[in-house]
Amino acid sequence: MRLLTHNMLSSNVKGVVDGFPLRLEAEKWVEKEVELNVDFLRHIFHKIEWKALAGAARAVGYGELPDEADAAMLDAEDFLRRFHHALLEIHVEEGALVCPDTGRRFPINKGIPNMLLNEDEI
Amino acid sequence: MSSTLHLSLACANSTASKATTTSLSPFPSDIVSSSFLHLLKVYLFLSEESPANDHIPTSALLVVVSMPRGTTSELSGVSWSYAQSSGMSAMESLRHTQKFHSTNLLSENLDQPSNSPEPSYLHVENTCSSSVCSTPDIEKKYVHRIYDAIAPHFSSTRFAKWPKVASFLNSLQPGSVILDAGCGNGKYLGLNPDCFYIGCDISPSLVEICTRKGHEVMVADAVDLPYRENFGDAAISIAVLHHLSTDSRRIKAIEELVRVVRKGGLILITVWAVEQEDKSLLTKWTPLCHKYDDEWVKSSNPPVRGNAATKLECIPELDESCRQTSSRLFAGEVESRTDKVMDGASIPCSISEGEYSSNDGLSETQQEYFVPWHLPYHRAEISGASASALESGLAKKDDKKGALVYNRYYHVFVEGELQRLVSGINNASIVDQFYDKSNWCIVLEKI
Repeated sequence: MRLLTHNMLSSNVKGVVDGFPLRLEAEKWVEKEVELNVDFLRHIFHKIEWKALAGAARAVGYGELPDEADAAMLDAEDFLRRFHHALLEIHVEEGALVCPDTGRRFPINKGIPNMLLNEDEI
Repeated sequence: MSSTLHLSLACANSTASKATTTSLSPFPSDIVSSSFLHLLKVYLFLSEESPANDHIPTSALLVVVSMPRGTTSELSGVSWSYAQSSGMSAMESLRHTQKFHSTNLLSENLDQPSNSPEPSYLHVENTCSSSVCSTPDIEKKYVHRIYDAIAPHFSSTRFAKWPKVASFLNSLQPGSVILDAGCGNGKYLGLNPDCFYIGCDISPSLVEICTRKGHEVMVADAVDLPYRENFGDAAISIAVLHHLSTDSRRIKAIEELVRVVRKGGLILITVWAVEQEDKSLLTKWTPLCHKYDDEWVKSSNPPVRGNAATKLECIPELDESCRQTSSRLFAGEVESRTDKVMDGASIPCSISEGEYSSNDGLSETQQEYFVPWHLPYHRAEISGASASALESGLAKKDDKKGALVYNRYYHVFVEGELQRLVSGINNASIVDQFYDKSNWCIVLEKI
């Protein structure tokens, strides 16, 4: 699971009003190089909840993202590289995503988050 | 007291069009009823044990024309229990029976057997108290578990990419985030390499296959996506909705697609059509009772009508160039080879001569089916689940074909049905709809 995906995921346990962002508990992660694509980064920047991304990055030991960001920063190559790295190159292999509201843990095994709910959570 | 009993075994299977009528008379009623029951049980046993024999009906129905008092309940009890075990409601038994006979039926006994539940056809969908997001047993047993069991084999036969889906994906802006809800083995993930894909499927086995190919995927339910709103630039739902067993779940799955894409985002939905280009395929599917009911999954036998001797291999997908495009943008890692070797058993089988008579006097179109998947014995070992699938009745052996036969649940769509489902969704408009290669397709735009 990349941090881009984490930025989209939201807990849908019954009764949860705001299930975003899920707290990332990472036990194992890997980095895989991806070619930088500026157009894609500019496009997706507006979708990204920055605080959630920065928080998730810290959870995997990457503290190079600023606490806040705005579109003007996309002109700086250094920023782009950090954004790119956090968003696309880090893969969480083992760990869990924790619902901010209920504390429900969604496990991540072999890089795959399991977001299925039990009958009583639907 | 002398009595006369007439036993009719009406065959729902059209290949056995001769209805056998046996009259036993005059015998003392107790002898008549016991030998009758014995005969009937033997007959039913034969019917169930010989599914491969087309001349033995898979549904045998008892019609009692006249009988002494006291035997009614016992006999109708047999009829009822058989109807239950074959997934037929008593009323459906009656309908079938009436198709063959216009005799005086003791319908009050068939209709209301003592200590039996009301006929299952009376249950309308979604009467359960749980929400629309809660997965009905029919889907758990005949969709989720099946795909988990057949995943590697299924995946090795699913590589041909449908041109209409490809052209939709290729029409999207570079850099688009595309959400594939029900991605299966991920054959569309990465198709347009200038886009970013996130897939999900409810089958962990299929999701694992996607991961091995280097795709970004998770295990999630397309009816209840764990995504925040407006994130995707586009979404696709390819051959997914027909695995959902109620109208409200199919609508909810569409609403979810609309919810998770941004305003102006496009959604492509494709589903299997009743109107198959190859009409003979329908004859190889097993029609189910027309209403979903819990009885389906509690019964050890599938709720079939008609010929349960299933013959279908798989639905042919359009053979297009099956080049596995690797994502130029994001293929930082493994992009596994695509298995292009089709198993013998996965090649569509020859057309069977027999024609299933689906016209049972009901005006509705048959839309609920079991579509068999043949898992060759030599592939069955891979999943390892074969033994337990056989034990639990999830799969059956077909030694002639050398394969395990799994039944997958399908609700195939009629013309206009997708449009109807979408009509209640007020923040989406239809931008295109078409029929292609036995599928109904619709393109929506979030407004």
